[in-house]
Amino acid sequence: MTETAPTLSAQTLSTVVSQPKLIARNLDFFYQEFLALQDISMEIPEHKVTAIIGPSGCGKSTLLRVFNRIYAIYPKLRACGEVLLDGQNILEPGYSLNRLRSKVGMVFQKPVPFPMSIYENIAYGIRHHERISRSEMDMRVELALRQSALWNEAKDKLKQNALGLSGGQQQRLCIARAIALKPEVILLDEPTSALDPIATGRIEQLVEELKRDFTIVIVTHNMQQAARVSDFTAFMYLGELIEFGGTQTIFTKPTKTQTEDYITGRFG
Amino acid sequence: MPDSSTSAAIPNTPAQRMILRTTRDARNDRLFRWVLLSCAMLVLLALLGAVASTLWGGRLAFHTFGWKFLVSDQWNAVTGQFGALVPIWGTLMTSLIAMLLAVPISFGIALFLTEVAPSWMRAPVSAAVELLAGIPSIIYGMWGLFVFAPFLADHVYPWVNDKLGHLPLIGALFRGPPLGIGMLTAGIVLAIMVIPFISSVMRDVFLTVPTRLKESAYALGSTTWEVVWNIVLPYTRSAVVGGIFLGLGRALGETMAVTFVLGNAHQLSASLLMPSSSIASVIANEFTEAVSPMHQSSLIALGFLLFVVTFIVLAIAKLLLLGLARRGGTE
Repeated sequence: MTETAPTLSAQTLSTVVSQPKLIARNLDFFYQEFLALQDISMEIPEHKVTAIIGPSGCGKSTLLRVFNRIYAIYPKLRACGEVLLDGQNILEPGYSLNRLRSKVGMVFQKPVPFPMSIYENIAYGIRHHERISRSEMDMRVELALRQSALWNEAKDKLKQNALGLSGGQQQRLCIARAIALKPEVILLDEPTSALDPIATGRIEQLVEELKRDFTIVIVTHNMQQAARVSDFTAFMYLGELIEFGGTQTIFTKPTKTQTEDYITGRFG
Repeated sequence: MPDSSTSAAIPNTPAQRMILRTTRDARNDRLFRWVLLSCAMLVLLALLGAVASTLWGGRLAFHTFGWKFLVSDQWNAVTGQFGALVPIWGTLMTSLIAMLLAVPISFGIALFLTEVAPSWMRAPVSAAVELLAGIPSIIYGMWGLFVFAPFLADHVYPWVNDKLGHLPLIGALFRGPPLGIGMLTAGIVLAIMVIPFISSVMRDVFLTVPTRLKESAYALGSTTWEVVWNIVLPYTRSAVVGGIFLGLGRALGETMAVTFVLGNAHQLSASLLMPSSSIASVIANEFTEAVSPMHQSSLIALGFLLFVVTFIVLAIAKLLLLGLARRGGTE
C-alpha cells in the first residue's frame, strides 16, 4: 500500500507538503440569533483527509455545511467571515452556488439514493453541469462507480432502482454520485453512522483511496475512525475550534486539556 | 369482554390459564376481523345498491332507447325523446377544463407552501386555501352566475373570441357569443372548487419528502425547480395522483355550482363558450318537473351513467398514470 508514505510525511512535514485548499477565517455562523460557530479559523490541506470531531451539538456538521453553503436553502441561517476555496471567498453573494457545488461535493449521514435507477442517480448530477453524449455519460458513470468501488456489484443492474441496493452499497452510490461531478473537495457528514462494521470498513478504505484525487473533510463522532482515516484532525467544542493539527499529534499529544478529556473519553 | 368460560371451570395451573387466554385472544381477534370486514362490506353494499337501483329505475329509458340513449343529443320532455350525449359531453368537458386549470395551480400552491414560502406566510396561506374548500357549492354557483359570468362576458370572452376564435383547430373551441355562462365558465368555477382539495393533499405529501433527499440534490447543484421536478415529484407520485383523483371525482359529480353557471342547454356545441348541461345539473334541474315515467326514468338512467362515466374516467386516468410511473421507474 502507498498510504504509509503520505501519512508519515503528513505527520512530520504537514504544512510544508500541502497547499491549503479550503481556508476558514473568523467564521461565525448563526441559526437566527443563536451563534452556532464562533470565530473558526482553519486551513484544510489539499489531497488530505481532515477529520472534524467533537461531542454532539459542537457545530461540526454545521461547519461542514458551510463549506458547500448547503445551509443557504434554509431561511434565517447566515455565515459571517470568510471561507476561501482556492483563494476565493465562497461566502460572497456573487459566488455561484452551482459552481461551488460542482467543486465541493457532499455525502450525508444516511444513504439517500434518489428514487431512480443506479445509472440515473449518477447521471442526474452530471447533467446539471455538463452536456455530454450518451456514450460519454456511460463512461463517466462507470468511472464514478469504479472509483467508489461499486462497479463490480452494480454493473449488471445499472437500470434497476437504486433503492434495491444494501445500505453500504447505497452509501457508496452516494459517494459515486458526488465524485461523478469531478469535484475538488468532498465533504462527508458522518458517512458511516448508519452502516454495519463491514460496510463501514469498505467506506473507510475508499476514503483512503479517494484522497489521491480529492481533498476530503469528514465529520465523525467515532474517534477510532478519525484516527484511522484522517491525516489532520480538528476538535470542536461548543461552536469553537479548540485544536487543529496532525491526527497523530492530536491523538497522542493534545495541547489542550479539553481535547485530551474528549479523546480519553472523560466527556462527550 | 366478560369471560364466561372461567365460571365453568376455574383454571388453577398457569398452563391452563395460558391455554384459556390463548383461545380467548384468538376468538376476540376473529371477532375484530369480522367487525372490520363488515365495515368495509357496508361501503361495497351501498355502492352496489346505488348502482343496482339506478339501473333498475332507468330500465324504461334503457329499454326504450337502447344504445341510442348514449349517442343521441335529443332531450325533449314534450316529444318524449331522451338521449344522454349532451350531459355526458358537458360533464367530461367541464371536468377536463377544471383539471387542466386546477392541477398546475394546485401544484404551484403546494410547492410554494412547502419549498419557497417564508415560514410566516405558510400558515395563513394554507388556511386561506383550506377555507376555499369550506365554501358551500351553492355560494360558488351564485357567485359564478351573478359576478363571475358577467365579468367574463364583458371583459374576457370578447377578447378570447377575438384572439383565439380565428386560430385553426382550436379556434372552434373559442367561437360564439360571449354569454358568460357556458362550459368554460363552469370549468373555471369547478377548478376553483377543487384546487383546495388537490393542493392540500399535494402539500401534505410534499412535506413527507425526507430533508436529506432534497439536500442531496441541492448538494449536486440542483436548483429548486430541479429538486421539485426530479426528486420531490417522483418520490410522491402515487400520493399526488391520489390527490388529483380526489379533485377529479369531485369535479365530475359537482352539481349546484355547475347547474348555476353551465346554462342548462340541451344542445351539442364544440364551443366552450356555449351553454351546455352536465349529468348532475340536468338531474338537479328537472327532477321536480319530470312527470312522465319516461322522463323520470331517463333522469335515473343519467344517474347510472354518472357512475359509469366516473368509473371509466378514473380507470383511464389510473392506467395512464400507472404507465407513466412504470416508465419513470425503469428509466
